[in-house]
Amino acid sequence: MTGPAILLLLAGLGAIAWVSARARALRLQTAARVTGRRDAVHSLPGYHGWYVALWTLIPAGIFLAVWANVSPGLVTQAVLADPAAQSLPADVFSRSAILGEARAIASGLQAGAFNPASQALVEPYREALNIYGVAGAALALILAFAGGAYAFTRIRPDFRARTRVERLVMATLLVASLLAIVTTLGIVASLLWESFRFFSMVNPLDFLFGTKWSPQSAAMGYGNKDAFGAVPLFWGTIFIGAIIAMIVAIPLGLMSAVYLTQYATPTVRKWMKPILEVLAGVPTVVYGYFAALTVAPALRDLAVSVGIHGASSESALAAGLVMGVMIIPFVSSMADDSIAAVPQSMRDGSLAMGATTSETITRVLIPAALPGVVGGVLLAVSRAIGETMIVVMAAGLAANLTANPFASVTTVTTQIVQLLTGDQEFDSAKTLAAFALGLVLFIVTLLLNIVALRVVKKYREAYE
Amino acid sequence: MSVRNPTDWKSDVMRRRIARRYGAERRFRLLGLGAVALSAAFLAFLLFTMMGNGLRGFTRTEIALKVDFPASPLLLDPATITDEALANANLPMVTGEVAKKALGADADALLSPTAWVSIRDAIKADPKILSRTETIRVPASTAIDLAAKSKGSPEAEAAVARLKQAGVLSTGFNWNFLTASDGTDPTQVGIWGAFKGSLLTMLVTLLLSFPVGVATALYLEEYAPKAWWTDIIEVSINNLAAVPSIIFGLLGLSIFLNFLHLPRSAALIGGMTLALMTMPVIVIAGRNAIKSVPPSIRDAALGIGASPVQVVFQHVLPLALPGILTGTIIGMARALGETAPLLMIGMRAFIATPPGGITDPATVLPVQIFLWSDEVSKGFVEKTSAAIIVLLVFLLAMNGLAIYLRNKFEKRW
Repeated sequence: MTGPAILLLLAGLGAIAWVSARARALRLQTAARVTGRRDAVHSLPGYHGWYVALWTLIPAGIFLAVWANVSPGLVTQAVLADPAAQSLPADVFSRSAILGEARAIASGLQAGAFNPASQALVEPYREALNIYGVAGAALALILAFAGGAYAFTRIRPDFRARTRVERLVMATLLVASLLAIVTTLGIVASLLWESFRFFSMVNPLDFLFGTKWSPQSAAMGYGNKDAFGAVPLFWGTIFIGAIIAMIVAIPLGLMSAVYLTQYATPTVRKWMKPILEVLAGVPTVVYGYFAALTVAPALRDLAVSVGIHGASSESALAAGLVMGVMIIPFVSSMADDSIAAVPQSMRDGSLAMGATTSETITRVLIPAALPGVVGGVLLAVSRAIGETMIVVMAAGLAANLTANPFASVTTVTTQIVQLLTGDQEFDSAKTLAAFALGLVLFIVTLLLNIVALRVVKKYREAYE
Repeated sequence: MSVRNPTDWKSDVMRRRIARRYGAERRFRLLGLGAVALSAAFLAFLLFTMMGNGLRGFTRTEIALKVDFPASPLLLDPATITDEALANANLPMVTGEVAKKALGADADALLSPTAWVSIRDAIKADPKILSRTETIRVPASTAIDLAAKSKGSPEAEAAVARLKQAGVLSTGFNWNFLTASDGTDPTQVGIWGAFKGSLLTMLVTLLLSFPVGVATALYLEEYAPKAWWTDIIEVSINNLAAVPSIIFGLLGLSIFLNFLHLPRSAALIGGMTLALMTMPVIVIAGRNAIKSVPPSIRDAALGIGASPVQVVFQHVLPLALPGILTGTIIGMARALGETAPLLMIGMRAFIATPPGGITDPATVLPVQIFLWSDEVSKGFVEKTSAAIIVLLVFLLAMNGLAIYLRNKFEKRW
């Protein structure tokens, strides 16, 4: 019996269980009403329905999930026991290739066999698949009936069906919330595991403090020692994300927030705030395309015209400028929040002493809001160094240790993309290096976020 | 101790000082206005550049080609037109010969290399045209297309002038761009395959992240005891919301592909990876929405005998749903624009057929944009920008819907 059919059948059984259990509970309720005891039935009929339906579905569902993982092995064993399988070659690879092909033909995924040996195994395979399919379906149905029957017999006026069903609901909610931990653990475990394999090939100190990055040469067999020095990548990431982008984003974001909170009329504010937010909603691949197609060539022409040597069409400046613009709304809204959190009385006091609005802002509001602004900037840096598409498209691939903004530099995220696309074999240092870079990126952004949230939190408490 | 005289506000010194301070005030204010204007100008510049390049991608230049089917070396019988017969008829070569007869020796440079597809489709639509002469409009080559729309090379400009004089050149809406998939020839590519891939991926993302996100938000906000392990859940959700998206790609690569051996570059894996990324956004938005439902409603329901589960599912959740939906749409919009994690799980493959299901190889709109941006052929520039316009229109629509929902259902309790 095929998978979808059995699932459909189970769903039908569940529905029948729900309807019949609910009907029975309803009858009990009416009977209790007739005798004048309206509160004799503990749970509403619907809960009895759910209780029986869940007992019908869950054990059978769990069994099917287990069966789907166990039965392929059983089927293979049954086929190997067949006389036709005695002639199989002893070599593991050709053996599993033949078995795989026979299986594909038997389950109808493939029309004909390339290997005559697999053709002989198709019939035994089909038979075994059939037997185990029918057996699995039958067992699932028996479980469904048994579960449903057991639950059905428990329907009594004083049976607490609601409590049981609600306990399951709570368990589901709890499991859902644990998924966040599982994901975090998954990230940490996969990064650590692959990085560990990488560091068994490359010395961690060479990786963290080496200044030469050329994974291609390592892949071609020149040795790993000097090929995986990640300092140029760290520098490129900091240069673009924490220096150039912030030079753009901090003044523009901060001044935008000041203007929109302190000077702008409500109408201007109402229109300009969403417009700035659109900047944050534009996909990064669009920014990347814009940086590579429009900004970078313009900057290179500019650099060449003022006589700067080594100007590249993929420059740190192009990627950093565009990234800075992308971050503006982020800095602006964080600054907005912290300026709004400064008590109005401080502003009024300053104005009453005769200070102009700009003096009030620069000498009272911004110093008071500074921790919040700093926290926002740290979050912005964390976002900028984790940003991928802009730098992949506009920053280039050359691992340069240079402070020339017109030169091409490369970043951690660019290299991750570069290392993991194309041919991948997961035992080479070249591919695994991407996970080591990912681990560094994860740790750095995590630390930045924790520090930033601490700073923001501490500051907020001061005024509340 | 010297006694200070009262300030003489009318003195020249004070006037100059006040003028200076007011000047500084005006400059500061202008600086703020300038910052806002600069940001808005950048956005406008970005959008206009994309529009300028992209709108041309929605039109294409076509050349009317007169095909005398009976005289052509095409060996096809109108009665038995099958896909196989058409594939064996060597249409590309025949089209080239017909074009040379009609347009001159340089016809190869004028027509798109896949112009024969239009002729094949015409025959398929009406096999009877094989017995007569028919004028069929076929796409022009990239060089001609560019020259006809704006500025091309001198040779192409000359060819366009010649074709215009012959009256065979026309510009039409490029339906093909909306219905075709990726290809190698910029005159024939379209976004339907990537668009369908995006829809399937979003569907998987929504089906996984919405129930889990809402359930988590409900649990944390309504039931969770204050304990060390609920703190860990909270911290990991907040951290996940701030983890760079490419890290989720690494997770998907090592767990879903290398460990669980799920199908590569499929919408299923893309959706699962993006769901892990979107879930924290939904949880955070959901918690805020649930928090804003006043406690009096819970108390009233509890007071008349509802159980805690009934209170939440019959009273709190319906009231919080508009807020949760707004957060969900914003999270989905972010997922729709996401590229980097999908590159990690192999969705950058060249895929020329739209995916039929969630386990088929697929690509999504942002990845398609990324792939086209790498193409050398000049014709891809306007296609890339056109695809960006489609993506932006979609995102704006989603954000507009979120704002509309927020305004419509926002309640002040």
